[in-house]
Amino acid sequence: MSGLVVEGLSVERGRRRVLDRVSLGLAPGEIVAVIGPNGAGKSSLLEAILGFLPVAAGRVTFEGRALGDLASRARVFSFLPEEAEPPAEVRVSTLLAHAERFGRPPDGLAAALLERLGLGPLAGARAGELSRGEKRRVALFAALATGRPVLVLDEPLGVFDPLQLEDVLAVLRARARAGTALLLSVHQMSDAEKIASRVLVLDAGRMVAFGPLAELRARVGRADASLEDIFIALLRAGTHARA
Amino acid sequence: MLERELAIVLRARLTWLQAALSALLVGHGFVLAVDLYSAGSRSVAGARLMAREFDPLLGVVRPTLGGLYLAVSLLGPLVAARALAVEKERRTFRALLLQTGRPLGLVAAKSLAALAGVALQLVAPLVLLAVWRLAGGHLAAAETATALLGYALYVAMVAAIAVAAAAWTETLAQAATLAVLVVAASWAIDASEGFAALAWLGRALDWSVTTHLYPMERGTLAVGACLWMTAVVGGALAAAYVGVRVDLAWPKRGATLAAVLATTLVAAALAHRVRRGFDTTELRRGSLPPAAARQLAALPGSITLDVYLDRDDARRRQLESDVLAKLRLARPDLEVRMPTDEQADATEAGRDEGYGRVVVHAGGGTRETRSTSRREIVSLIFEAAGYQLPDWSQPEYPGYPLVIAGGRRRAVVVSAYLGIPLAPLVVGFILTRSKGRS
Repeated sequence: MSGLVVEGLSVERGRRRVLDRVSLGLAPGEIVAVIGPNGAGKSSLLEAILGFLPVAAGRVTFEGRALGDLASRARVFSFLPEEAEPPAEVRVSTLLAHAERFGRPPDGLAAALLERLGLGPLAGARAGELSRGEKRRVALFAALATGRPVLVLDEPLGVFDPLQLEDVLAVLRARARAGTALLLSVHQMSDAEKIASRVLVLDAGRMVAFGPLAELRARVGRADASLEDIFIALLRAGTHARA
Repeated sequence: MLERELAIVLRARLTWLQAALSALLVGHGFVLAVDLYSAGSRSVAGARLMAREFDPLLGVVRPTLGGLYLAVSLLGPLVAARALAVEKERRTFRALLLQTGRPLGLVAAKSLAALAGVALQLVAPLVLLAVWRLAGGHLAAAETATALLGYALYVAMVAAIAVAAAAWTETLAQAATLAVLVVAASWAIDASEGFAALAWLGRALDWSVTTHLYPMERGTLAVGACLWMTAVVGGALAAAYVGVRVDLAWPKRGATLAAVLATTLVAAALAHRVRRGFDTTELRRGSLPPAAARQLAALPGSITLDVYLDRDDARRRQLESDVLAKLRLARPDLEVRMPTDEQADATEAGRDEGYGRVVVHAGGGTRETRSTSRREIVSLIFEAAGYQLPDWSQPEYPGYPLVIAGGRRRAVVVSAYLGIPLAPLVVGFILTRSKGRS
């Protein structure tokens, strides 16, 4: 498979296994949403893929090549951490220029993102003067303004109001249409449902399900089920199975 | 990258607050030094011999920089560690690491920004020394520059240690605490000096910052001290680099850190052994008389002194700060042994009849004295080696007594306690204030 391949990824913290043999593939242009209850291991999965958590087992490859060191991962991934706040003292214009310099986005992308994320009027302000949503948009710009093939976004949608959310989802879809692969962890099922081409359900570090929404609906036997219904059904089934 | 990192440091209120507090502390030291200098100067009017003792380097520059040492040690770690620690606290660090893909560049930019923040503390003593000049005080450029160089290296050391601490911790509080503890370790070593009962800590003095700043404060450009501080800076930056490599597995990071620390210790130990120094003092008053220094340098064979004096003996401190410092400038290979430091009972009660001797070995001969006078010991070195003491004449340091009183003193006090500490607050206010959004 081309693109990003994660095979049998396991992570341990102390004696506790926080991820257990998680595998997934992410093709160019695809958007995979990782969902799961709190503590399921969503952020751990993303950080392990990025190389920030030591893995007990498994490997991560891109286009068939193993991603071993920071330099190789920096060529592939761009990352938006959960609740990341840009440094309060720095002007937005400096942060945007910094992101462009290191992200090396294709021609026109930075300008398009600037407009879609509504950052132009904020350029002269310092990050500390921005609202929470504005800070998140600046951080999102830093992650999206890049020519790197895989975007890893940890809870990118949580702080936006419905109108802002529509804009941000449109931006993410546009990036996917341009061939970039997106791996997102999403807390709100309704948000994941709106954007994901495939959904990975995690529970207690284990992969409960992974596939397109239609496939997951078939699995729970309800053609009209929302992602939230699917999520609840899968987790209950998993709990019963474990019991 | 630097623009972003400099903004984090220089647009933070904390940075300017530390500069203001440091300026106040340094200013207080300066005013006390000037008052003491003035009081002493009043009593020497017309007495040329006494006037010689009025040395602005020791009387004004050194006490002023003493305040800086305290401020840099206590406030510097907070400002420097913040440059990196805020990224971790605001959860931007890992994204930044991946975004730049250059951990080395990131550490370099963070360290430069941290250095810029702490180096603001150097501005106050510079301005105060300018105030001293304006008030009619004397300053010799080379010796003052040497003293300032020592403190600039110390500022770099504190900044590098704090960045390393931030690289290995998760919050600013943790980083600042760790950095202050490392810096304060040097104070603990210094505290042992002058106590015979703590003689077992004697070797640790090689690891004290004060030991390395001391010759620089006295106008000796000590190559070993500069190399020692540079080695610590290099080691701390290397430790910072390993610390930010969160992509590496813990065992590898730990092993690399251990290797970095071991290499730094070896490099610093080697640097400490470099005894070469250059006397930059006015009229080379930090050296032996020129003819004696020249002939001492040309003396064949090794020179060794056995000094039977305890660490808490004032004669030993006088010997070390005067005779030994001057001898080492002429003969960097001079070996000094302190046999009393090796004794288990290194207290006053344990002293025997041999206590107080200084035994000189040179050119195959041995001489002994109980004097710690410069001329006596140098004479014995030449005598032991079979030579006559060369010409002992030296250009006479005139001394620069100065009484600052009345309006000039008021101006000095206002500058030190108000003008100079307020300046960073004003600049900080301008740089950090919110301009509102258009």
